[in-house]
Amino acid sequence: MVFAGIDVGSLATKAVIFDGERILSYAVRRTGADPLTASISCLREAISLCGLKEDQLDNIVATGYGRIRVPFAQKEVTEITCHGRGAFFLFPMTRTVIDIGGQDAKIIILDGNGKVVDFVMNDKCAAGTGKFLEVMSQTLELSIDEFAGMGLKSKKALSINSMCTVFAESEIISLIAEGARREDIIWGLHLSIARRIVGMAKRLSLKEEITFTGGVAKNKAMVRALNTLLATHLNVPEEPQITGALGAAIIASLQAPFKA
Amino acid sequence: MERACSKKEPIVWVNAFFPIEIVHAMGALPIIPEIHASLFAYFNYSRRFIEIGGGRLSTDICSFFRCAMGLLEEGLIPKPDLVLSSSHLCDGSAKFFSEAAKKLGVKHFYLDIPISPLRGVKERLARKLKDLSFEVASYFGLPFEERMLSSVLARTGETWNLINEINLLRRTKPTPFPGAEGLSYVAGMTFYTMGTDEGLRFFRALLEYIRKNVEKKVGYLKNEKFRVLWLHHIRPYYPNPIFSFLEKNGVAVPFEETNYLYWPKPDVDSPFLSLADKLLSNPWYSSLRLRMDIAKSMAIQYDVQGAIHFSHWGCRQTLGGANLVGEALKEMGVKFLVLPGDGCDPDNFSLGQTLTRLGAFLESLEG
Repeated sequence: MVFAGIDVGSLATKAVIFDGERILSYAVRRTGADPLTASISCLREAISLCGLKEDQLDNIVATGYGRIRVPFAQKEVTEITCHGRGAFFLFPMTRTVIDIGGQDAKIIILDGNGKVVDFVMNDKCAAGTGKFLEVMSQTLELSIDEFAGMGLKSKKALSINSMCTVFAESEIISLIAEGARREDIIWGLHLSIARRIVGMAKRLSLKEEITFTGGVAKNKAMVRALNTLLATHLNVPEEPQITGALGAAIIASLQAPFKA
Repeated sequence: MERACSKKEPIVWVNAFFPIEIVHAMGALPIIPEIHASLFAYFNYSRRFIEIGGGRLSTDICSFFRCAMGLLEEGLIPKPDLVLSSSHLCDGSAKFFSEAAKKLGVKHFYLDIPISPLRGVKERLARKLKDLSFEVASYFGLPFEERMLSSVLARTGETWNLINEINLLRRTKPTPFPGAEGLSYVAGMTFYTMGTDEGLRFFRALLEYIRKNVEKKVGYLKNEKFRVLWLHHIRPYYPNPIFSFLEKNGVAVPFEETNYLYWPKPDVDSPFLSLADKLLSNPWYSSLRLRMDIAKSMAIQYDVQGAIHFSHWGCRQTLGGANLVGEALKEMGVKFLVLPGDGCDPDNFSLGQTLTRLGAFLESLEG
């Protein structure tokens, strides 16, 4: 049997094809202005990558902010539950998930069966999330990979006080004008975001092991910043961005077969 | 509103937690501006008035008061002859009422209520309430005697009995009465009509309605799966899908913190002491330990699996304690959700985030 999970996020849409035991394929696309089109094309791409046809899917579960815009899914599940399931599947000792996506950050506490016990989310501001990092990298005229790579080369962290995307951008421009090194600005930014995430995480009782998921987990500077502040070694999936879609596919595999 | 427009009696603006019985006792008409703000929000008209009120009050101040300020500016609340406000409960009330009195050029009496339950505090507060009552009556040239307050408090006592009975019946399963209504007109009537015949009639009718549902074993949901407590004394009043989401998914709200009968039944022979007792018993104006204990006892009494703490932006009295209240409930195995939002300002409402939080909370209840 074959199952699909689709995670329609604010920045990226992800699809995972799962056979109940392993990931057969996956695809990631920009969500853009039309989540429905993004989810259809992303799912088609993932299906074609594993050589299957659409009618071979037994169940589809949608997650993410755009989950209600996926009419062909048999079930909608929140990304909180899905990231929990996906992280637990990849790292079965996971008891805490840090998920940083395009517009929000979440801390999820799991029980020994991978079920959500508790969670917190950032409030309405998207500071310290994927979109924030994207804007900061653009300000410094770097790709997001160059941006993270450069942060790792820093010798000293500069203090970045503003977490508002607009004000942080002005603060960076001022620091550049004062002659600060880009590496140090970038590392300072990552530490500021990590402090915000750790502060949020401390509202819950963090339990080891901690798995870092979501698109921002691909950013090695952010992984290092969180490892430093949490004094731990985070589990990071090979492709952290698809963890939510994987969780959705796992949940699809546990549902009664549907077959459209 | 009809009485206010007829201008036969003096109009007094009070804050929601002010001991309104004093105003009723002297035959003046109380107006609670923040409740008018919630009514405007209910009909989805609050946005414009919040914007107007923001010209006088900082955007950090509770949106109910900013909306009320906008309503004042636009002349949509009957103008007062006097403003009475107390330091409990809302932080925004001190700013709003002093600013409103200044703008309208009317006298403002401010009642400072102590938090600390030290020996003699209740007696001192009772004396302060007595002095205030006589001063207000003399300001209006109205006759006032302590027995007039006793007679109002006799009705408050009868209402207390009705509310107590209602709250006991609401423990029944299936849930006989929706928490969303408990947070709107029931709470509004509690604030407005305590000590009046209108209040007595309302709570008698409510008791009958709930009693019939209990006798017929009729729940307000067709398929009740979970019971969840609503913490905080308000909810978002503008159109929003929170309660319809809960109802659609079989989540009943059997009770809400705002209707918890935290104050003792008044003693008509000691009216000022009774009012002082009520003011000093308020769990939102007290040690957080009291609020935590009440939350735990409500969780047991109403046999809930979860609790939602609505964290209204700008509500300094409740936000800080949310996590500790949550910890206390989680220790009992009650699932807990902090739901940030705004009760009055629809521009402070994030639909996606709210539904994700509620959805994940529901999924955790389902296990």
